[in-house]
Amino acid sequence: MYALIDANSFYTSCETVFDPLIRHKPIIVLTNNDGCICAVNRLAKELGISKFVPYFKVKKQCQQLGIVVRSSNYELYADLSANMMQVISRFSDDQYIYSIDECFLYFNNYHNVINDFKSYGRQIRRTVYQETRLPVCVGIGPTPTLAKAANHAAKSLKKYVGVAVIDNENIRRQILAAMTVDKVWGIGRKLTAKLNAANVYTALDLAKLPPKLVRQNFSIDIERTVRELNGETCIRWDEVKQPKQQIYSTRSFGQRVFEQTQLREALCQHGAIAAKKLRQQQSLVATLMIFAASSPFDERPIVRKKLHRFVVPTNDTGVILAAISDAIATLFIAGVPFYKVGIGCLELIDEKYWQHDLFATSNDNPKLMQCLDEINGRYGRDAIKNAAQGFEQKWAMRREFLSPNYTNDWRALPKIHCQ
Amino acid sequence: MVIILIVTPILIEAGISGFESPAAEYSQLGLSLDQLLIDHPQATFLGLANGDSMNQVGIYHGDILIVDRAVTPRHMDVVVATYNGNFSCKLFDENQRRLLSASEHYPPINIGDGDSFLIEGVVIRSIRCHRASRFSDVCTD
Repeated sequence: MYALIDANSFYTSCETVFDPLIRHKPIIVLTNNDGCICAVNRLAKELGISKFVPYFKVKKQCQQLGIVVRSSNYELYADLSANMMQVISRFSDDQYIYSIDECFLYFNNYHNVINDFKSYGRQIRRTVYQETRLPVCVGIGPTPTLAKAANHAAKSLKKYVGVAVIDNENIRRQILAAMTVDKVWGIGRKLTAKLNAANVYTALDLAKLPPKLVRQNFSIDIERTVRELNGETCIRWDEVKQPKQQIYSTRSFGQRVFEQTQLREALCQHGAIAAKKLRQQQSLVATLMIFAASSPFDERPIVRKKLHRFVVPTNDTGVILAAISDAIATLFIAGVPFYKVGIGCLELIDEKYWQHDLFATSNDNPKLMQCLDEINGRYGRDAIKNAAQGFEQKWAMRREFLSPNYTNDWRALPKIHCQ
Repeated sequence: MVIILIVTPILIEAGISGFESPAAEYSQLGLSLDQLLIDHPQATFLGLANGDSMNQVGIYHGDILIVDRAVTPRHMDVVVATYNGNFSCKLFDENQRRLLSASEHYPPINIGDGDSFLIEGVVIRSIRCHRASRFSDVCTD
């Protein structure tokens, strides 16, 4: 059996852990730079606020409704996520962390230990809340995809009270019938439209399709999804774990940027972040996209983009920053209030499989990069960095509604009243 | 919870050369205050005592409280409760199912059956900085 455990509206839940005053209030969390709403708790949802909406559009509404607004506090979320994952890991010897707020557990040969998965799930849920004050939902099923489906039921159907187990045919059919096909793991928006056109609306409809037909008409991945929905395990951890095929580092500015040097510093900062991610997953970038844009809400939105193809793929910060610096002149337009910049590593190559070129030699300095990563690993991010990244970052994120750094700053410890 | 406080013991040798102290090979291990003070790292948080109602049990304004959510409170444990939207430091009267303030000015709070999460955690240790720490100036005010 597999379990999928995830936190209910993780970011908003994290905000309540050290602030009991807002535990029963509607809360929303804003993305980087307070641009968009990225998390909405149940109470805020009931008031009609939804995710992915630009904050300025609902600002007034939020004030009138008394909704608690927070900037995203990633330091806090990362700490609480680590605690949550550690508590969950006690319930199985095989845990796979899928994202900041969800993980799988695999129970292999546990039939002698766990005889009632429903009460085991309740125990997981209660322990996580007891020890971390984060509410989670637990879905358990014979395959990862069914565990995901059970989790969806646990979350959306009140009768399950946060824990659903698919352990017989009846419940499997019930849960899949109550689930629209777009909620199935691995089924995106485009595919949903295609499936709907073929009269497939629920997860159960999808499960009933003949697997071979699915492979012919869609893809082998969807065939596996169909098999998984019928209880046949096809997805393995190591397949889910594959390194990212693309790396992005982008952000909006706190204040509009009008100067070329500031634009360059910001882009170089993203370049350095992306280069570090490349080294972490042992990839090289062959094609780099560098872009700068004004706000999409401006009267005349401007997007500037430049692709840089490396003759020799690289993950060296110095080489990448040099490419970025070269691109600045073509990206920058005087007078444009730049709002967002970023770097996309579009074409990645696995370091292991890179074939060296006889005529083009690499300018990478792996030893220097290793040294850089180790120093920053020990003394904190950007303890040492390229001067091109700049020193005074005027373009730093805007986080107007940031909660205190409860777990990372001695001066921000939560107050405990002795009165 | 990430508190890394490593104290490396200083070896006092008597100035005898030739023989290395038999303790030398152990000195690298160090002592970690985390190890001593924290039992369940993932279930523990730190808070700052604010006020003097708990002076009688040895908790003073500005002390750092180590709060463990994983342990079951026992009779007359010092606990942190969520009350009126605040974290409050109280004594847990198990026999009468209520939370007491160490000061007489505050009436006891009864714990109903539905209030199982009224108690946030047990204060398992408290730390007082007799001189301000360079990381925390809060203790001096």
